[in-house]
Amino acid sequence: MSVETLSAPTTRPYLTSLLSAVVNPIMALAIAGILGALLVMALGENPFEVYWLLISGSLAGIPNILVTLQMMTPLLFTGLAVAISFRAGLANIGAEGQMLVGALCAGIVGFAVDLPALLHVPLCIAAAFAGGMAWAAVPAFLRVKFGVNELVVCLMMNPIALLLTGYFATHVLKAPGPTNKLPDVLPSAKLSTFSFYSQVNTGLILALVLCVVLAIINARTVRGFEWKIIGLSPKFAYYGGIDVPKRALNVFLLSGGVAGLAGAEQVMGQFGAYYDNFSPGYGFDGIAVAMLAQFHPIGVIFSAFLFGALNSGSGVLQMMTGLTKHLVQVLQFIVVLVLAAKISWDWLTHFKKPSEITMRPSRSSTTSET
Amino acid sequence: MASDTSKHVVEMRNIVKRFGNFTAIHNANITIGRGEIHALVGENGAGKSTLMNVLYGLLPRTEGDVLLRGKSVHFSTPNDAIAQGIGMVHQHFKLAPSFTVAENIVLGAEPTLAMGRLNMRRAETETGELSKRFGLDLDPRAMVGSLSVGLRQRVEILKTLYRKAEVLVFDEPTAVLTPQETRELFATMRQLAQSGHSIIFITHKLREVLAVSDRISVMKQGEIVATIDNKDVTAQEIASLMVGRSVLLRVAKDEAKPGGRTMLNIRNLTALGERGENAVHKLSLSVRSGEIVGLAGVQGNGQDELVECIAGLRQPAGGKIEICDKPLGATPADNRALGLAYVPADRGGVGLSLQSSIWENMTVGHLPKFKRGQFLSIGDARARADELIKRYDVRGATLDKAAGSLSGGNQQKVQIARELSREDGSLIIAEQPSQGVDIGAIESIHRILVEMRDAGKAVFVISADLDEIFSISDRILVIYRGQIVADLKASDATQEEVGRYMGGLETPIVDTGASVKEPARVC
Repeated sequence: MSVETLSAPTTRPYLTSLLSAVVNPIMALAIAGILGALLVMALGENPFEVYWLLISGSLAGIPNILVTLQMMTPLLFTGLAVAISFRAGLANIGAEGQMLVGALCAGIVGFAVDLPALLHVPLCIAAAFAGGMAWAAVPAFLRVKFGVNELVVCLMMNPIALLLTGYFATHVLKAPGPTNKLPDVLPSAKLSTFSFYSQVNTGLILALVLCVVLAIINARTVRGFEWKIIGLSPKFAYYGGIDVPKRALNVFLLSGGVAGLAGAEQVMGQFGAYYDNFSPGYGFDGIAVAMLAQFHPIGVIFSAFLFGALNSGSGVLQMMTGLTKHLVQVLQFIVVLVLAAKISWDWLTHFKKPSEITMRPSRSSTTSET
Repeated sequence: MASDTSKHVVEMRNIVKRFGNFTAIHNANITIGRGEIHALVGENGAGKSTLMNVLYGLLPRTEGDVLLRGKSVHFSTPNDAIAQGIGMVHQHFKLAPSFTVAENIVLGAEPTLAMGRLNMRRAETETGELSKRFGLDLDPRAMVGSLSVGLRQRVEILKTLYRKAEVLVFDEPTAVLTPQETRELFATMRQLAQSGHSIIFITHKLREVLAVSDRISVMKQGEIVATIDNKDVTAQEIASLMVGRSVLLRVAKDEAKPGGRTMLNIRNLTALGERGENAVHKLSLSVRSGEIVGLAGVQGNGQDELVECIAGLRQPAGGKIEICDKPLGATPADNRALGLAYVPADRGGVGLSLQSSIWENMTVGHLPKFKRGQFLSIGDARARADELIKRYDVRGATLDKAAGSLSGGNQQKVQIARELSREDGSLIIAEQPSQGVDIGAIESIHRILVEMRDAGKAVFVISADLDEIFSISDRILVIYRGQIVADLKASDATQEEVGRYMGGLETPIVDTGASVKEPARVC
């Protein structure tokens, strides 16, 4: 049992640890790409052709890029929401439900209140934020106060949100007509779109600004520092005088609020009303986006762009080949699986006989130095 | 007991165990006879468990021979040891609470029918027969989760017997038992010995050693310093063998000049342990400015709970604590504000975030100092951490290195640097400050604590290591079963005296119900 070889991976210098943050997602993408290619081949298509279609379908030409940006916007919000909570050690996987409730709130305030646009838009956004926060408050409170596992509560809150919003869209506030939706939001509550090629709107700007602001909060402020320490070691944070329950509650609520904003963007920017069951699972994709981003707000921009591009390319793929757009989902799931398995960097550098690592008594590392 | 080799079931010859270049066991020799109860005693960290883990195949030995019934054996896993008739009754039970007694006992060695089907009926009858044969009354169909601790231990014992163990290692079996259960366990041990089983009994409770064992081996700092027949020895002799040291480390320091101010004042503190027992019972103590008070005691006598109460990590069940004349706050943050600096024993879990960088670890607890509006002055925090690394001589440290990559001694220095660098800290609590720390670092840590005392701060050191207590304390308190049983001036006290208090030999509190003078009448 040599002490030197065991401590080697942890003593890597600063630069390599930065590099490793990027290596993890890149390896995950590479593995997903290879497995996806094998899958495409098994389905009788040419993988190079398929990947080219995905890239050109999402990135070639202004219209395609605009669709990609449109697809990316909700993922920016939900990805950021998940990243905020996970960095603080809280597994908020309820972004889907929080987004739905946020969307419902924005939809109601959007049609029921008549105000000038300068006030109406911020009010709707605030309503969505509050809605998301309120939905996150249940798992957050149970977790912080009673130690209830937030994963379980979030998972249960998601379908409840879907059914609750559905009840509003089909009964309570249903707009006249065959569609299950709320009345259209007033023009004063609409987010302006940039072009007629896609529904991409000022919500994108809001999302990008939020990512940058949170990156600054994380890296530069006392709160960001405290969140990180809580995420890595809550016991140590508490011992060190950080008000762990209060901070954890705040982070969870902030995360829920940001997820709610995804709903605001959908209602006020893309659809113009709350439509029942509008989400293809943006809240869940947000988990994948955040994982690929390694829970870094700037990383969320890149990974949301990638997932948005894959989603928009998948439409083209479906038109041009015999493949369905579910192939893209398979690719995305492989990325998540690889990241969840924590292979890549850690796996390569720690590749040793497992017994050597686990059998080492915790205090034997004390010996060699000093 | 004659030293004829054929009589020895187990013989360990010149065992050496090293972890890296730290030697945990030096040349240990021990023999266990058939039908013998052999006690292995020593302080925490003396190497008792390590030696037994070598025997049980949990740890590979570096040098030496293990002979089983005269033949050299080499176990690489516990399964090898079990197959050869060695069983271990662990201190922390390894049982599945949602399984029945019989299921737990056969787990991993299940009797089967054709096609690999589990023969539960046979498992139950065999379990029942086994428990009758050894007088360990148990219902094979009872759910283990519903059993008391003492009964669960019986399941552990039956588990080893079911696997035909002839040598049973009991790792501090009485630590979790009530006095009544302890008496029953001793009766069981005697019965097992009479039926030809050999028992190795790891403990640091001297009364129990005298009550039940045939021979006693004393371990100290990785060596077996003596093996004695029970009838030839007294508790005092064992205590001095356990604690006596050839080399004594003492920090050069002047006579303490305690100031008038009481920095830590505890009155009638009661605190509950993990199992709801009174881990700390109506305990009172005080520490004044300008003195180092050492709290000695065998681990598990309420020290952890006491310190957690002071640090604000555990809610006391009764009594009061005052830090610098003010009542204890509700959170660790409040207590820090009162002037408490706390160096916890659990470096990896409480005192440091091992994955975080060194500058981050040194900054937690000092955040208000680096707050600029909502922003954190990272430049200032890093500059201070850099200065602390130099001042406290943290070897191998750079600001961005993970704290977990440092050696134990240097992790300890990071904690100490962070806690003691506070200008307003007037009460310092250092819990096991030299645990897992090499000698060079121990000296510098002790020197720092003495400097703090000379600067007029109150220092309270909790340690399981008597050498450390004697090295730095001005006053020594001994904790036993959640109460302070002695308050001695360090310069007048002897290690033997403190050792007797630690073993509960000089208190009116009876723990096993057995009298020291009449060990044979326990069962």
